[in-house]
Amino acid sequence: MLRELVSPNSSALRLLLFVFLFAPESSTSAWIWGSMQPSARDMQVHGKTAASLNGIAASSDQIALPELQNGHGSQTPFDHGGSVGHDDFLDQMLSGLRSPWAELGATKSPWDAPDSEGPTAAQRIFGVGKEAEDGLPYAPFDESALLANRLRQYQISGGSSPVGKAMMLPLSHHGQQQMLATSGDSGFLPLPLTLGSCGSVDSPNSTVGDGLYNGFSGALQHTESANQHTFPHPQQGAPMLGQNFGAAPLAPGLTQAPAAAVSASASAGGGGTGPPRQKVRARRGQATDPHSIAERLRRERIAERMKALQELVPNANKTDKASMLDEIIDYVKFLQLQVKVLSMSRLGGAAAVAPLVADMSSEGQSSAGRAVCAAGGSSDSLTVTEHQVAKLMEEDMGSAMQYLQGKGLCLMPISLASAISSATSSFHRPHSSSSATLGHLHPLPNAGSCDPPSSPAASALSAHSAMANGAADAAKDTIVVSKG
Amino acid sequence: MYRRSFKDTKSSLGSPNPNFSKPMVALRFLRALSLVRCSGPGARSPSYRARGIRRAAYACMAASAGPRRAWSRALLRKIRRRPGRGLRRPRAVIRRRRPVGGGDPLEVALRRLVPGGGCMEYCRLLEEAADYVKCLAMQVRLMQTIVDSASHVNSID
Repeated sequence: MLRELVSPNSSALRLLLFVFLFAPESSTSAWIWGSMQPSARDMQVHGKTAASLNGIAASSDQIALPELQNGHGSQTPFDHGGSVGHDDFLDQMLSGLRSPWAELGATKSPWDAPDSEGPTAAQRIFGVGKEAEDGLPYAPFDESALLANRLRQYQISGGSSPVGKAMMLPLSHHGQQQMLATSGDSGFLPLPLTLGSCGSVDSPNSTVGDGLYNGFSGALQHTESANQHTFPHPQQGAPMLGQNFGAAPLAPGLTQAPAAAVSASASAGGGGTGPPRQKVRARRGQATDPHSIAERLRRERIAERMKALQELVPNANKTDKASMLDEIIDYVKFLQLQVKVLSMSRLGGAAAVAPLVADMSSEGQSSAGRAVCAAGGSSDSLTVTEHQVAKLMEEDMGSAMQYLQGKGLCLMPISLASAISSATSSFHRPHSSSSATLGHLHPLPNAGSCDPPSSPAASALSAHSAMANGAADAAKDTIVVSKG
Repeated sequence: MYRRSFKDTKSSLGSPNPNFSKPMVALRFLRALSLVRCSGPGARSPSYRARGIRRAAYACMAASAGPRRAWSRALLRKIRRRPGRGLRRPRAVIRRRRPVGGGDPLEVALRRLVPGGGCMEYCRLLEEAADYVKCLAMQVRLMQTIVDSASHVNSID
């Protein structure tokens, strides 16, 4: 089976690849996917495909962990507006994922071939930004496969496997470190949670986790040595804590965390440079400082917003701030990817919709101008139009479409119209001339004669109308959509 | 063409309703779509059209979200700027309120993803991100509906 996976250049290959990758590992695929992104980029850069392979295989998480640490630290920027960013992301996802599997095939030559043409093939596939037309037939297929898997990720219910937790561990470390490095006060409260979970996870990092846990409790005794804002100051606290656990970069984070958690007497207007040992240490519950009050408020606001954000993301059950942010970021990327894919795949359906959607400006005929006022609230004209269109549809859809186009109308499927109108039936607003009111759709009265091709799917008629659609609405129950 | 499309959509709706009005987004989107396609269905390459559609989607999403949202303003600004407008209005726009040092890779990534996220504080960033996600999800659902119904039409015929 791996042989046929390794055979290059087939879209079936890619689909199989994705399915094979993600179907069996449903519980871990979520985290592997999420963590593969930065590491995939590194794979390409450093060529450590073996490590990424192991990351995928989800059996040896130890290798994946340093990769994660590398990847997280050097995460390449993700461009929002430009399509190039998405393409790079997808490229590297695809090529980073494919080459490890090729290696797994245990043959060298097929590995070379996909590897060499991997990036180009990936670029060809998602050749949106490259103006590559031949890549487009592949594109919707592969990207929808990609999307399907990310969809599965978002539909997977939680499932914090031990591998996932172990992978989250350095992420949270890094996240906490960085967060503490920049904003001195955010993430303090969750930090004890992180450390708590550190201690409970029996992962390959158990030594570090335990050390951290000990370090945390040990650090509680050294609180007066550190200040809330003194990020450079943990050098005083670091030697003490450094012995508890060998991770030096974690020391500043830890010194700050218990310091902030226990002592609220941070800056007192002078901030970081004064000797911290002589400051009065207030307890957490007491707010002796307007600064600390403000900061606590800010922290609470941040936590509250993070919760709101987390609720938007499906299947988010993480309590950890860093992983919550991770999920949110992934979800945003996923949604943007979906928009992109949908806009590409719309072309297939768009080819059929194009004659349907009439355009007033390109027509340039008087009939276009006529349509605006002619189809204006009177139900008679609508009926006439409908009859006409129904008659035309009996003969030929094309002529019916042309007639509609000449009138400046568009044909819309019932499902779409009802989907749109279902939320709008009670939605009437004062509009300008180019505005719309949506009523409820009613199939054409003459649909019985010509029905099978048209009525279930495409027998909606939508007409231009300026205003006063309420009358038509009440009278005929038709959809009227006007365009500008 | 894209300018015209979202100018139309933007001018038609007076008061900025929050983005929960899905049918309004739908209307704008359909209108923008028709304008996108008017450039000649066979004239451009499919990828060009895909990008146009995507831009129309973002534009109508931002327009319906209303100008009260920082991300919608930034998004519209970004879309408007691309056709190569040489004339920059000498508006006093305070772009960088607090340039973040960017120590947290997660925060940096989020700033890059959300339009207009470079100049906001962290908690405002989260707020804008929530709104943006809501709007994006709605837009995606809408597009999915359109695609489904369109493909349904095709399959019947």
